[in-house]
Amino acid sequence: MIHHFLLPTRYPRALYWMLLFTLMASLSSCGGEGTGSDDSLDSLLEKAEKTAPISKEEKSGDRQSVSPEKVVQKISSTVLERNELKFGFIKLTDCAPIVIAKEKGFFDEVGLQVDVEAQPNWKTLLDRVISGELDGAHMLSGQPIAATIGFGTKAHIITAYTMDQNGNGITVSNAIWEQMQENDSSLKLPQPKHPISANTLRPIVEERKASGQLLKMGMVFPVSTHNYELRYWLAASGIHPGFYTNTDKVGETDAEVLLSVTPPPMMPTVLEAGNIQGYCVGEPWNQQAVAKGIGVPVTTNYDVWKNNPEKVFGVTKKWADENPITHIAVIKALIKAGKWLDSTNSEGDLVNREEACRILAQPNYVGADYDVIKNSMTGFFYFQKSDKRKMPEFNIFFKDHATYPWYSDGIWFLTQMRRWGQITESKPDAWYHETIKKVYRPDIYRLAAAELIQEGELEESEIPPVTTDGYKPATNEFIDGMTYDGRYPVKYLNSMKIGNKDLEASS
Amino acid sequence: MILMAYLELSSVNFGYGPSANRYEVLQDVNIEVNENEFVAILGFSGTGKSTLISLLGGLNLPDSGQVLYKGQPVVGPSPDRGILFQNYSLLPWLTVYGNINLAVKQVFPEFSNEEKKTYIQKYIDMVSLSGSEKKRPAELSGGMRQRLSLARTLAMQPKVLLLDEPLSALDALTRSVLQKEIINIWESDKRTIVMITNDLDEAILMADKIFLLSPGPKASLYKEFNVNIERPRDMDSLNLNEDFNSLRNQITACMVEFFQSEDNDSVEIELPDYQPAVFT
Amino acid sequence: MKFKLIKSLDVAGLSVFEPVVRLLWGEEPKVQIKKIGLYIVIPLLVFISFLLVWDFMGPRHKTKSGEVPTPKVVLDAYKKIVLFHDQEYAKLDDYNREGEDRVAHLTEVESRLRIVRDVLGQIRIALEDAENQFQEKLAKYLKPYQQVVAEKQKDYQARKAEVEGKLITWGKQLDVNDKEGKKDYIKAVALAKREFEKNEKHLKVLRTELADKKINESPELVTLRLQQTKLEQEEQFLVKRISYLSRANRSLKIEAAETILGDQLANLSNAYGDEGVYGLTLNILNSQERIEKIKKSSYAKPPTFFDQIWTSIKCVFTGFLIATFIAIPLGILCGLSSVFMASMMPLISLFKPVSPIVWLPIVFIIVGGFITNPEEAFISPAFLSTAITVALCSLWPTLVNTALGVASVENDHLNVARMLRLNLWDRLTKIIIPSSLPLIFAGLRISLGVGWMVLIAGELLSSSPGLGKFVWDMFNNGSSETFAQMFVVVFFVGIIGFLLDRLMVIMQKLVSFDEAVSTL
Repeated sequence: MIHHFLLPTRYPRALYWMLLFTLMASLSSCGGEGTGSDDSLDSLLEKAEKTAPISKEEKSGDRQSVSPEKVVQKISSTVLERNELKFGFIKLTDCAPIVIAKEKGFFDEVGLQVDVEAQPNWKTLLDRVISGELDGAHMLSGQPIAATIGFGTKAHIITAYTMDQNGNGITVSNAIWEQMQENDSSLKLPQPKHPISANTLRPIVEERKASGQLLKMGMVFPVSTHNYELRYWLAASGIHPGFYTNTDKVGETDAEVLLSVTPPPMMPTVLEAGNIQGYCVGEPWNQQAVAKGIGVPVTTNYDVWKNNPEKVFGVTKKWADENPITHIAVIKALIKAGKWLDSTNSEGDLVNREEACRILAQPNYVGADYDVIKNSMTGFFYFQKSDKRKMPEFNIFFKDHATYPWYSDGIWFLTQMRRWGQITESKPDAWYHETIKKVYRPDIYRLAAAELIQEGELEESEIPPVTTDGYKPATNEFIDGMTYDGRYPVKYLNSMKIGNKDLEASS
Repeated sequence: MILMAYLELSSVNFGYGPSANRYEVLQDVNIEVNENEFVAILGFSGTGKSTLISLLGGLNLPDSGQVLYKGQPVVGPSPDRGILFQNYSLLPWLTVYGNINLAVKQVFPEFSNEEKKTYIQKYIDMVSLSGSEKKRPAELSGGMRQRLSLARTLAMQPKVLLLDEPLSALDALTRSVLQKEIINIWESDKRTIVMITNDLDEAILMADKIFLLSPGPKASLYKEFNVNIERPRDMDSLNLNEDFNSLRNQITACMVEFFQSEDNDSVEIELPDYQPAVFT
Repeated sequence: MKFKLIKSLDVAGLSVFEPVVRLLWGEEPKVQIKKIGLYIVIPLLVFISFLLVWDFMGPRHKTKSGEVPTPKVVLDAYKKIVLFHDQEYAKLDDYNREGEDRVAHLTEVESRLRIVRDVLGQIRIALEDAENQFQEKLAKYLKPYQQVVAEKQKDYQARKAEVEGKLITWGKQLDVNDKEGKKDYIKAVALAKREFEKNEKHLKVLRTELADKKINESPELVTLRLQQTKLEQEEQFLVKRISYLSRANRSLKIEAAETILGDQLANLSNAYGDEGVYGLTLNILNSQERIEKIKKSSYAKPPTFFDQIWTSIKCVFTGFLIATFIAIPLGILCGLSSVFMASMMPLISLFKPVSPIVWLPIVFIIVGGFITNPEEAFISPAFLSTAITVALCSLWPTLVNTALGVASVENDHLNVARMLRLNLWDRLTKIIIPSSLPLIFAGLRISLGVGWMVLIAGELLSSSPGLGKFVWDMFNNGSSETFAQMFVVVFFVGIIGFLLDRLMVIMQKLVSFDEAVSTL
């Protein structure tokens, strides 16, 4: 597995020739005796055999045992296939690891010059990664999976790094919030008790349904975390968010609430204009609704599913195969950036977040006001002007093995795609496991982490133990308290009240 | 030498438009021009004089009848029959030199650069435009433009020079200067000239023969006059010449006749019947 | 000299300045001054009054995304854009510096950083004090309001409890047959309900008012904050510069790699009889390769505003050239042959009104199909798609004008051609094209104007670098400066559009032959 990346057999034939030419040159320059005008490999080998025949064993080359140290040494002494890269990102605070790796020089340290470029929307971002205009990008967790299984644009995308956890919120308009308060007067308190479920939204949905004017809500992309979270939140209270089917690619079949795609920066504007009555989006767009006084964030995805994976760093399989060493170098820099973002002092305070906010506030990165970015990044969240709460774990970038590409995280997205019909046919458990192993690549993550440990940049304890099977333990930290175990996706799917169900394997 | 007309129109008809709404310009026109003759075609405006020139030049072909040049029917324009257009037809984006150059390059492709330069300069000098070689038509006065146009046509060394009211747009002074110039050129370098004009004096002054066209539509040749006044002719002395005066009276009489016949033909226009207002 | 100047002004379409030139040469001073007054001073005054009105109205029109920026704010935003530009180029230079130059700059930047950090330390302390004072003041200011709200809430709650109690008792006492009493009771409960609702609404209003209550921060605090922001940003910039002057510097990276290479070579020259020789040699080759790559590397600079403008201009001209190469030949054919014109007409009428927004995705897909490997393509597909979209939208005026120009060549000129028996090619190049040039250029001028407008929209959609993307990025930033930055873009787009138009006017005048200026 490992030497797969390291052996020069991966070089194309042309590179062999180049190597040989330069070999001749360097040997002569250091006083070696190997010279000669004959430049064909075979004739050179023949000549060498004549002067000093070498044994078959030696000729076959690399017989060294592949001990970890040696591997690491070899990696650092190999050459990056590429050292000028271009990554894409969307202007959201969770692009921080890429930006920090660039600005704090982590990319420099691994020998990379990285250009990061803001993209207008998730679709363009994905298309440009696929077309090769971008080497890699900040992606929605669902994007590599959906692309690989062919929902939307089909392309084999892999990820070896999860960029962050949490970070989204669900906001409703003032009018809806008032009606929700009518339905449950405890919400009228200046600081209502959290988590707020969609139960109080239910009567409003029914009323709207009766009047023939369905409630409309916005999310950012069909395979975005936001879509699944919003659906989860609604469905947890028995509100049907609609199915995707073979003929309905918008996902409004049977819907009691119509969900539509709206780019994040447009959300507050569209909400204000009354085209939608609520939305699910990342920061700073929930805080904007509060600042502008047009809406109220009712819940965050921390409450919908505690510590859910939010964004990943995605590259195409093709790119990863062509640039294995560069890929590892990139992951190394990103891990360091994540660690930097989450580093704390002895009292447990995040020490680097303010600096990170300053960097993110630059116009070529997130570009929002420092104060706005600071709110969520440093652990505060305004639910209303009068309701500011501490949310230290609103954005997690590193701690608790957050950056490790857990299979179970990916499988959750697969289950949601099946649940809402984006995957149209029934699949067995084995399919989920196979599929996710094509997309999530902890092996690459481990190679990068091993180098960092070797270099003393990372503690063994900061990455999951080698014994892990890549699945997180079962958890019930969802808003509806359902238990999720990534090892049994079909069982999980069938435990849901609303949504597609599959046949469980009878073994 | 067989006496055959050098340039000939024989029973030429020409008109525009569809048959339902046809406008006949020329009807049964017969004109013969001999070699090295200076012929003037005289007529009122709207008698199809310019059409006549374009038929002679080959720009238009007759509907019926024939245009013959040296006994051969004319099928298209040719540098052999150089036309001097009424409105100069200079190319405004080219300089004086460039305008002539365009013609020279086309007619004498065999010239070397040097030859060409001297040749063009010769014609520029001939029409006294020296010093204005680099000017464009927009910067020239009307007379200068017509001279340039003349130089361009002459530079093609046509066998027949067809002049379409070359002087009608010019003021009297320029006009008389140019009249002299054209006559000089013709005299020094004999060739056939057909000139269209609406000025009787000009026609008598310059031409050997005058064709008078009847007014259009359906214009045709009305009468032919020979001018037997000795050259060189001079406007001032001509006024005292008896031949001149009689010819002039003859032609004028013909023209007046047209007017009268035209009056008879034309629909009478009723004059408005105004009554003086009565103020009481 | 004077006439040359006046002529150049005229050609450049700047004939408004003609009186100034004439005045300088002392020609009819009175007339010239009057002209200057009419054509220069008055427009200038109008512009100034526009700025004044804007300055006055801007802050009075509040949107939820902030105030409409005043001219001053826009100017500040522009300065920040320039600062960003300068800083990025400084980093670029630093990355490429070597030798003495690098050391000198490093020392300079380090000393500046020390100063910045010193001042920043002081400011932070001062800011903390100021902040505390402000919070105290704010608390003091808010206290009475908070009290009012609290009291009201208490009052209302007490009242509600009291009324509800009484109503409940009354309800209990109601007799079965007491119809009148029940009627009254219903009335009373309804009134009570209304009163509760009213009170609650009032409370809500009070709470909202309280949430909105604030006192202005002291100017001292505001300045301190601004200084802090500015210095923190500078600190960040300097730290980055130091890294590009030291560990991340290209020359140093090369040096380090060369040292390693030297060691490796030394090792190899001493090595014998070891199977490690093969690996060592490979490492040497890798080191050499790495050095080559570092030598070729450059600082990954984000495109600044001015880079974007430059890209946009390149893009609009690329599109414009494509449009020209398509439109002029087609236009000539249309003008020459009425059959061709008739056969093209349906296509022209069909495609002409299509919006760039529709073209772009289509072009994108098509171009994407041709460029399979953008890394190695000499032109970025996004750039090319935008340029083609610009071309598709802007070729129509040129096409129509060319056709018109060719079709309306004066008959006299054609007669000259016929008399000279020019062949088709000569007729085209010597008569028809020169004669239709003024119209063609008038078309090109409109095309370029359309192209420039389409470009901004195209870039915005395709995410091709350029002003359009800049606008979209700024909009996505959603920062308090967004508004002002957009205004900066408005001015730049306007000015560049104006300059492009002038450029075309000059070209148009140079090819036009009807006026005396053509001699220039």
